[in-house]
Amino acid sequence: MDLFSHSWLPFFYLYGLGGILFVAGITITLKAGSFDLKRSSHKKWMWILLFGFVWYITMHALMTWAALGLISPYTVLYTLLAMVAVFIFVTLRFKKIVGAR
Amino acid sequence: MQTFHSIGTTADWIVMVVYFLAIMLFGSYFSRYTKNTSDFFFGGRRFSWWLITMSIVATGVGSHSFVKYSAKGFEHGISSTMTYLNDWFFIAFFMFGWLPIIVYSKVRSIPEYFEKRFSPSSRFLATILLLLYMIGYIGIGFLTLGKAVIPMLPEAFTLLGMTIPITLMGAIIVIAIITGIYITYGGQTAVIFTDLLQGFILLFAGLLLFFFGITYLGGFDVFWNLLPTEWKLPMADFNQPSSFNFVGIFWQDAIAGSIGFLFMNQGLIMRFMACKNVNEGRKAAAINILFVLPISAIVVGNAGWIGKAISITAPDVISPSVSPDQIFVVVANIIASPGMFGFIMAALTAALMSTVDTLINATAAIYINDVHRPIQHLLKKSIPPGAENDRKELIAARYASIVVTILGVLAVLAFKNFPTVYEAHGFFHSTLTPPLVVGIFLGVFWKRFTASAVITTFVGGVALMILGARFPGILISPFDHGIEMNVAHPYSYIRALYNTLVCSGVAVGAALTTRWQISLISKIRAKANAKIIMNIMLGVVVALFAAVLFGVSGISLQVIAAFGVIVLVPLTVTYFVHYDEEVNTFGLTASSISEARRQFKGSEPNDAEGVPVLVHWKLTESEESFMRFSNHEMSEMGANPGDLVYISDKRQWLGGLKSAHSVFGEPHDEVGIVYLTPDIIETGLLAEGRELRAEKEM
Repeated sequence: MDLFSHSWLPFFYLYGLGGILFVAGITITLKAGSFDLKRSSHKKWMWILLFGFVWYITMHALMTWAALGLISPYTVLYTLLAMVAVFIFVTLRFKKIVGAR
Repeated sequence: MQTFHSIGTTADWIVMVVYFLAIMLFGSYFSRYTKNTSDFFFGGRRFSWWLITMSIVATGVGSHSFVKYSAKGFEHGISSTMTYLNDWFFIAFFMFGWLPIIVYSKVRSIPEYFEKRFSPSSRFLATILLLLYMIGYIGIGFLTLGKAVIPMLPEAFTLLGMTIPITLMGAIIVIAIITGIYITYGGQTAVIFTDLLQGFILLFAGLLLFFFGITYLGGFDVFWNLLPTEWKLPMADFNQPSSFNFVGIFWQDAIAGSIGFLFMNQGLIMRFMACKNVNEGRKAAAINILFVLPISAIVVGNAGWIGKAISITAPDVISPSVSPDQIFVVVANIIASPGMFGFIMAALTAALMSTVDTLINATAAIYINDVHRPIQHLLKKSIPPGAENDRKELIAARYASIVVTILGVLAVLAFKNFPTVYEAHGFFHSTLTPPLVVGIFLGVFWKRFTASAVITTFVGGVALMILGARFPGILISPFDHGIEMNVAHPYSYIRALYNTLVCSGVAVGAALTTRWQISLISKIRAKANAKIIMNIMLGVVVALFAAVLFGVSGISLQVIAAFGVIVLVPLTVTYFVHYDEEVNTFGLTASSISEARRQFKGSEPNDAEGVPVLVHWKLTESEESFMRFSNHEMSEMGANPGDLVYISDKRQWLGGLKSAHSVFGEPHDEVGIVYLTPDIIETGLLAEGRELRAEKEM
């Protein structure tokens, strides 16, 4: 059974079009000056924004692979938990850097 | 389709009643913190991100309810999570565009933004559209609540020898009365704290249900292997069936829904405005979307997945023909013990009530801000002194809450004939959000977007949307991505693409032709009979819009009439409405947020990095409402006299309930001491002897 229209086609559509909107959001707010990477707190927000995009794209890709039987559903859970740990670690590092200044 | 009644035991009902009483007592305890309309609607701009995040859970999970996602989970599997996992794309626009603007410009409602950014007439139209949206949303909430409780109620009851049937509308009216009473006496602080508690309970109840379900089935591996591959996939099929397909829901939810939820849901916006500062609002939004929504997706949909798995192994326990909107209640009843089922149902219905009461509170805020006050201003009524005016507005707000509740119940009639709540909600979002979404979005991010363009979007865009709704097979089908048209409910989701495109097209077209409009109107102004010409033009616009609205003649003439509206509206607006790009965009677009911050503070913001400090307070009887810190603490915080300061009880678990904003006064030399005036102590609910945490805001 061809599951492309049920699996990867929606995936590419979501992250293709959604990705364009996401990049447009960052670009427009940077150009407008409301998102200012010269401010250290905004650098932390850039990390969070990019992490969020990767977080969701990874989540959907892993869930699709698990549904298609290519990986175990437990792999999805462990990978996502590892990403949460990375997120907390890096975000706290940013907080320390911001606080130290 | 199989439907149920009288599910549950006496123990379940006792648990439910106790739960509701406990929640109402909890809410009424915090209603004591409501002192004025600012507290009633906005909670006094004082709360921490974690409190707002959990408070949003009850609002979000309640509205994206257990009922509708369990229904789709039962019909289509794990792809019911789709709509919870597609909200990240607009987050930069929200965090660094809309959120700072609404906070720094001190607007209290979305229509007020339209007045400042465009014109009073834009505000008037935005108020109408927003009230329709909010009341429709309340209607959806009541419909879901009704569908959730009906399976627990008997088909009829006997009173004084008469047999009275229990209908969906009857149940909804009783629920509306209970909800109305609660919100009328609560206010935003009570809602926030009640939602905080319910947020935790909801997540716990939903995950508990998943655990019970997995245990009932014999473990996660059994559950996983029971589901067919299509049911495990995280997204629906690209374009079929018409009742649940990826591309339609992408446009309805990920685009119109996400912008609608983040940018024009007054209930959610008021939550963010209750945050102590913009950065806390960003944190609340980020944590909510990144981590809470994926957990919520499991919480709200798992009853449907478990139900599907049970229907495969034991169709005699759960028939595949169970009404999808009842599957949550049916599954919870089967897998949870008596009493526990009552707890889960109480959590579900209380969460739905949270959503509805947040929306009622928000709609009352719009009424006070965008109808009551402008009318008072128009009638040139003398405004009584602060406290007296606040008291009168609080009374008006409470009456408004009651009227909004009644209108919400009536709105159910428009949605109750959809096969599921999910489709009713999808149709509602696709239809009502696009004009406002386009208006807000372009208003914030495009300086050249003018008053005439936004009004043309509202009027001309709506005219084209009406035509789309009337002739979907002709106008919406070119955008349908191969989705089959259901004649009874045509293009419930993908109509969002058509509606967004026509509104955006009208908006961009009207904005790009601004110079021509001004030039043409200048020529008309030069004529002696300019006013007569423009009044005739206005009459023609009204006639053309009426022709579209009431569907006179065939499609061709209606399309011509709609384009007539699109051409003439910007001209009439350019003539009648005063708009100055420099004034109307100052501090109100993403490119002028630094001006907005300057206006908010009243002087140049101080962005020097500093750290929070801990201090004890002493009373000063100074007439000016300043906070005076020592030189040492001022230096630690990187603050100067005149900067904005936020002070709160040191106990962070209070989430900012006891806190206040003010301005730094001249420093003194007593290290560890802050001098506060009585009004700050009263506003901040600060207790004597308690250590305080202070930080510079800007």
